[in-house]
Amino acid sequence: MTRIDDRIQRVDAVEKASGEARYLCDLSFDDMLYARFVRSAVARGKIVSIDVPPLPEGYYFFTADDIPPEGKNSLVMIAGDWRCFASGDVRYVGETIGILCGRSRAVLKAIEESIKITYEEQEAAITIDDALAVKGGPILEKDDIHCSLVSEKGGDVDEILSRADRVIEETVETGFQEHVHLETNAALCTIEDGKYTFYISCQCPFYVRKSVAGLLGLRPEDIRVRQTTTGGAFGGKEHFPDVLAGPLLVAEYHLKKPVKLVFDREEDMLYSVKRHPSKVVFRTGLDSDGKILASDINVYYNCGAYLSSSYVVLQRGVFHANGVYNFPATRIHGYGMATNTFPSDAFRGFGAPQTLFAIETHLNHIARELGADPVEYKKQYFLKQGDETVTQGHIVEKVVLNEMLDQVASKSDYWRKAAEYTPGCGKGIGMSFYNHGGAFTGNGEQAIIKAHLRLVKDGDSFTILCGQTEMGQGFRTILRKIVASVLETDMDKVAYDNPDTDCVPDSGPTAASRSTMIVGRLAEQAAMQMKDHLNEEHWEVETEYEHPEGHPWDQSTFKGDAYLGYGWGCCCVEVEADRLTNEIRVTGIWSSHDIGKAIDELIVHGQVNGGIIQSLGYAAMEKMENRNGHFRQSSMSDYVIPTSMDFPRQEWGLVDNPYEWGPFGAKGMGELVFNGADAAYTDAVERAMGIKINRIPVPVEDLEGLR
Amino acid sequence: MVERCYVAASLDEALKIRKETGAHVLAGGTDLMVQFRQGTGISPVFPFPVVIISSVRELDDITAGDDGTVTIGALAVPARIAESQLVPYPVRAAAARMGAPALRNSATIGGNIGNASPKGDLPQPLIMLDARVVLTSLDGEREMLLDDFILGSKKTALRDDEIISAVRIPPVSWSYVFYRKIGTRRANAISKLSLSALMRFEDGRIADFRAASGASGPKVIRSREAENMLKGLDDAEARAELPAFLDAWNEALSPHAMPQYRRNTTRRMLEHFITSALEHPQSEIIV
Repeated sequence: MTRIDDRIQRVDAVEKASGEARYLCDLSFDDMLYARFVRSAVARGKIVSIDVPPLPEGYYFFTADDIPPEGKNSLVMIAGDWRCFASGDVRYVGETIGILCGRSRAVLKAIEESIKITYEEQEAAITIDDALAVKGGPILEKDDIHCSLVSEKGGDVDEILSRADRVIEETVETGFQEHVHLETNAALCTIEDGKYTFYISCQCPFYVRKSVAGLLGLRPEDIRVRQTTTGGAFGGKEHFPDVLAGPLLVAEYHLKKPVKLVFDREEDMLYSVKRHPSKVVFRTGLDSDGKILASDINVYYNCGAYLSSSYVVLQRGVFHANGVYNFPATRIHGYGMATNTFPSDAFRGFGAPQTLFAIETHLNHIARELGADPVEYKKQYFLKQGDETVTQGHIVEKVVLNEMLDQVASKSDYWRKAAEYTPGCGKGIGMSFYNHGGAFTGNGEQAIIKAHLRLVKDGDSFTILCGQTEMGQGFRTILRKIVASVLETDMDKVAYDNPDTDCVPDSGPTAASRSTMIVGRLAEQAAMQMKDHLNEEHWEVETEYEHPEGHPWDQSTFKGDAYLGYGWGCCCVEVEADRLTNEIRVTGIWSSHDIGKAIDELIVHGQVNGGIIQSLGYAAMEKMENRNGHFRQSSMSDYVIPTSMDFPRQEWGLVDNPYEWGPFGAKGMGELVFNGADAAYTDAVERAMGIKINRIPVPVEDLEGLR
Repeated sequence: MVERCYVAASLDEALKIRKETGAHVLAGGTDLMVQFRQGTGISPVFPFPVVIISSVRELDDITAGDDGTVTIGALAVPARIAESQLVPYPVRAAAARMGAPALRNSATIGGNIGNASPKGDLPQPLIMLDARVVLTSLDGEREMLLDDFILGSKKTALRDDEIISAVRIPPVSWSYVFYRKIGTRRANAISKLSLSALMRFEDGRIADFRAASGASGPKVIRSREAENMLKGLDDAEARAELPAFLDAWNEALSPHAMPQYRRNTTRRMLEHFITSALEHPQSEIIV
């Protein structure tokens, strides 16, 4: 019998470690064709001509012109502005212009290289500053602003700043980040039982069918999507699989044969979505004792050429922009900038990491300027239960940041080290605090998703049916464990396979740290109802999401409780800086997280380790540059992610703070653990080297300019 | 899609193929297979014929001659070089930090030299040690300084009928030695910058001083003029000469990217090595 507190070996561990798991690239069908994208080589311009050489027999080329009249050249993500195929003009390097299909991948490559596309190039806007200056003329109707919003609380920020003892102005910036999921993006489209069917590596099968159905004038339910075993995603397979699926569906409409598209690593690096680069500008007013009176914050995210899901990313960025702190007054303007870069999209944290890094860095700098210890300074502003948030909602849950701080400070010996390591002495220690709103923003769970989950009993076996995907995060194990624990049975009596949209109810996307918190809860409730029917041979129960009472939200004004609950985190990083080479050696990492309750400690441990390392990579080394719209890093040797040699040892802890509406008290945690190690790292590096860091990443060569 | 591909069983056979077809030599394949890859499911396409010499066993020995010269066969892999007690420390240190274990067991010293990347790991310490490269053709052997063999980024003096068959490191001794590679990360990393240096004292004076900078120009950089500035000096004289030496070394560098970092860090590392050595510490390896 499985109990919720058992530490479980992941159900997919052996098949993945042994190489038995079959990924999309392993699938093969009779008569199958391969596909290859033909992409824009310029960031912005008109397409003057596309010269395609005569194609060998059995080879095909499809463009926007091949979308049937009843279809629309649009990929419906959250907005529908991302075109399936560029038509008339191109807006970023790598934009899909056409799709080639045929039997030999070598021949497809040769054809692609012989296609001549002539452009009338226009000056492109690449950076946030380019977009603010409307470089090259407006990308949108009148300017380069895709979306904007404002959140404020407390008094009139302008008035307060005008009478402040002093106003500290500062800009903090973050760069692109690439997901580097081990399995590259891949999809296959075919027709099964007369129905368009996708096999696809993705997080959200229901997103795929919704996104592409309109290309053929179909309804989402006319298309079947079957998730294949997915080797990592990190948000990079939330909407982006739609960009593969759209052209494949248009090709399938004409070909009626299985067509398979697998990106190689170079394509996946150069021509896929990234984390939004950000620029956050603070004006923070202090009184004569150095106390914060108000903060005026302007948040700019580089969204790239299409809005797609960026407005929601920006909202999360704005709602997290004052961190875990309660200032008397805060005003945050958020702007999603349109540029001619590859559209930015979901990435673990979904907009929160950028502003959380910025506020931590800003407060560390203010503290240091005042001669105060940054942790001492920051903790006086910790949010508490009942405090007003920046969206004029309230923190509903008990906040235990002080307990977490004590846990981490005692394990890391923070107070002694912080006092001992003088600026520039070569050793440094830093600490960050962060949170992450669980599940969809505002009332999205209720208004947009309305998740459903079904549990079926046959004899003594149970099957969970829902749309959540396993992508390496461990959810397959988590969900089976929840159900088995409630039913007091063994996990191997509970089946839960890769979802197939024709067989499972829509439980919403596998994103937003909502799977355990929301869908895990639905499974828990279904299992509880099932318990009364255990003596029946066959029984089914379907549960539907119910919004917990007491979370008001107005989506038109963005006022109310932006999230149902938050995960909270504290991370401490200790470093040694090599005074000759600027190489940073991380000598200690300590963390504490409030995730309500760990459904499985082993899986949580993996998530903590991975999230913190990914965040440290973001801060320390993961540099993705863009020149004239072209990403410059195209492989895993020039875009470097950390190895275990870089950040070898971590101590981690959890606090017990059960969440009323989560299964067994659990909240979301997959993104939370990414949200703060970056700022702890730069804090430590700043202290070790006696420098000030306002931009990440900071590889050795960038630290040189700060010495 | 390979234009023509030959597999040679012996050096002699490889030389014949190379002479007749102009085939490029593929040993470990860790450069060529990457450079000419075509993507998933497509064979690499080489714009020239290729002769694979991976199974030529006669070329992977590491031996020491009576005079102390160490000869490393062109097919010796970094994993073996790193472990060989015959090989001088800076070369072993460089071999030990090349790529990841898989690469260290398939890449070859001949390939690392022939590829002539300014970021290549092995040429840097080898050039400091005045290593010579042995070039074999059907007409026989010739030897030249590795520093002369590598002409620039990706350019060598290899003739169309020659194969790199070995590297010879002349006898060397030092009082103090230094090796550092700054990679993009701590393991499995391409070099951002590297430096080797050695110093030998005799009768209280610097009898030998050498250094080599990797990833600081189109090829590994040595400045014998700068090195000579320190030779013959006693400790006090060397300290006095140090700033002028550092300026001279800096003059020799020509990094095309991250110039500030590469110049400043090289300067700090050299200054650190020299001032440390002038204090005559116990350990001969300065870190």
